[in-house]
Amino acid sequence: MHTQPNKLLWHSAFVAILLALALAIQASSDRINYQWNWHRVTPYILNTEPTPIFAEQNGNIIENAQGQLLFESESGDQRLDLSQFEQVMVSEGDTIFEGDQVASQPQWQFGPIIQGLGVTIEISIYSLVFAIILGLAFGLMRVSHNIVLRNLAITYVEIIRGTPLLVQIFIIYFFVGTVLELERFTSGVIALAVFTGAYVAEITRGGIQSIPKGQMEAARSLGMTYLQAMYYVILPQAFKRVLPPLAGQFINLIKDSSLVSVIAITDLTKAGREVVSGSFAPFEVWFTVALLYLLLTGSLSWGVQRLEKRLAASD
Amino acid sequence: MTRDYQGDDMIIANNVDKIYPNGCHALNQVSATIKRGEVVVVVGPSGSGKSTFLRTLNQLETINSGNITIDGTDMYDKKTDINQLREEVGMVFQSFNLFPHKDVLANVMLAPMKVAKRPKAEVEQLAKKLLIKVGLKDRMFNYPNNLSGGQQQRVAIARALAMEPNIMLFDEPTSALDPEMVGEVLDVMKSLAAEGMTMVVVTHEMGFAKEVADRVLFMESGQLLVDSDPESFFDNPTNPRLQQFLSMII
Repeated sequence: MHTQPNKLLWHSAFVAILLALALAIQASSDRINYQWNWHRVTPYILNTEPTPIFAEQNGNIIENAQGQLLFESESGDQRLDLSQFEQVMVSEGDTIFEGDQVASQPQWQFGPIIQGLGVTIEISIYSLVFAIILGLAFGLMRVSHNIVLRNLAITYVEIIRGTPLLVQIFIIYFFVGTVLELERFTSGVIALAVFTGAYVAEITRGGIQSIPKGQMEAARSLGMTYLQAMYYVILPQAFKRVLPPLAGQFINLIKDSSLVSVIAITDLTKAGREVVSGSFAPFEVWFTVALLYLLLTGSLSWGVQRLEKRLAASD
Repeated sequence: MTRDYQGDDMIIANNVDKIYPNGCHALNQVSATIKRGEVVVVVGPSGSGKSTFLRTLNQLETINSGNITIDGTDMYDKKTDINQLREEVGMVFQSFNLFPHKDVLANVMLAPMKVAKRPKAEVEQLAKKLLIKVGLKDRMFNYPNNLSGGQQQRVAIARALAMEPNIMLFDEPTSALDPEMVGEVLDVMKSLAAEGMTMVVVTHEMGFAKEVADRVLFMESGQLLVDSDPESFFDNPTNPRLQQFLSMII
């Protein structure tokens, strides 16, 4: 009889290895006497520091008929109702000089790390959309019978795949960006879209070529044009097949977007670098940044898996 | 519009030559005329060019010389829109080639809606009528992969008929089927023949040829060697190559 593997045992072994890894990290940081200060990172994620309210001119604090404190400037043309703030730091009769703090207002706002995350998401989404358009167009050109279109597509794919993304970013930022007077963000999106587009083009080509020839013949024999057959018959089937490699490419795109920090776009990686110099907590910051990237890529692959399941209906 | 063509010669192939890029001479001076309502069966050993000949009739294969006139339209005339011509020539393939991402009903409805641009309600009625005809109305929401080979081929016939063609081409429609499913497909083809459809059938089903065909063509090495009625084709073959072929298959 075939024995079943002891699932509990192997799951425990897996957990034990993870624990050992965590302990190893702990031990190695102990060896270099690293002090873990996670609380130093939190203000850079979510800033809950109260906003100070400053006097804009010289003036005095007075009380009005309702017993509320007011700031009145010397010239009398500016009045500021202090009762609207949570914490008032002055009392009636105080003389205030320009720039003095009179009150503070509790607030919360996203810290630079979350703002960087926002930029990363934004740049990834824009690049993704343009990469899909580019990849689809060049993938179709690649399988076209027209020699000009096919050669153009081959050239594009070979040039982009044969050069490093970092170099492409520099070329697009310093050359194309200067000639066309593009903003850095636009340059970054173009570089990422053009880079990812070449890979999407190859994936698209592979997908189209994996569909049996008979599908195109059946569609054409019903009177469809080449483009109708592509649109209604070939591409929907190809899309289902290329979804896994496409998802991998888009995950790469999110990760590659960290390279745009070299042209001073404050994405998650650049924000991380800035926060490290401000917080003196490099380990915590980089672990946080890595975790946030993992969250982005993880939710993308989860979404694609759901899509795959839905498309599997006809299998 | 060729839809208005009233003549009797539905297919005229004249000295058709086809040479593949690899040098294979697939069709060598093939000439044949097929009349309205005729059922013509093409037989021959594999590699004889019979499938190639069939595929030239809707330009899935282009030809090197000669000319083909379909339904009154010269196929290689510059003014001919091949897509429009194909609407009138239905084709059924050996490997069915149903669209696996669409259910049976959508397979049948796709071309009339997107190519002929007919309204959906009208097309749906037509599609259901055709699916009843091929005996698959209860399978209309199934996907092709959940059907047997015979059922898939019957859907493929319905799909081709949905464009309301004047000519139907069958490229070995039963060769990929399990033996017990051959009959159901042949029955659909027989009823189609009885309705007066012009049909060209490449097949190995000699029974079908004897029973249904008006004429039988024999091809070998890219040449059309025999073109005769089924009785003299099977009972008194005069061509020695045909005699040899028949002795091998019967």
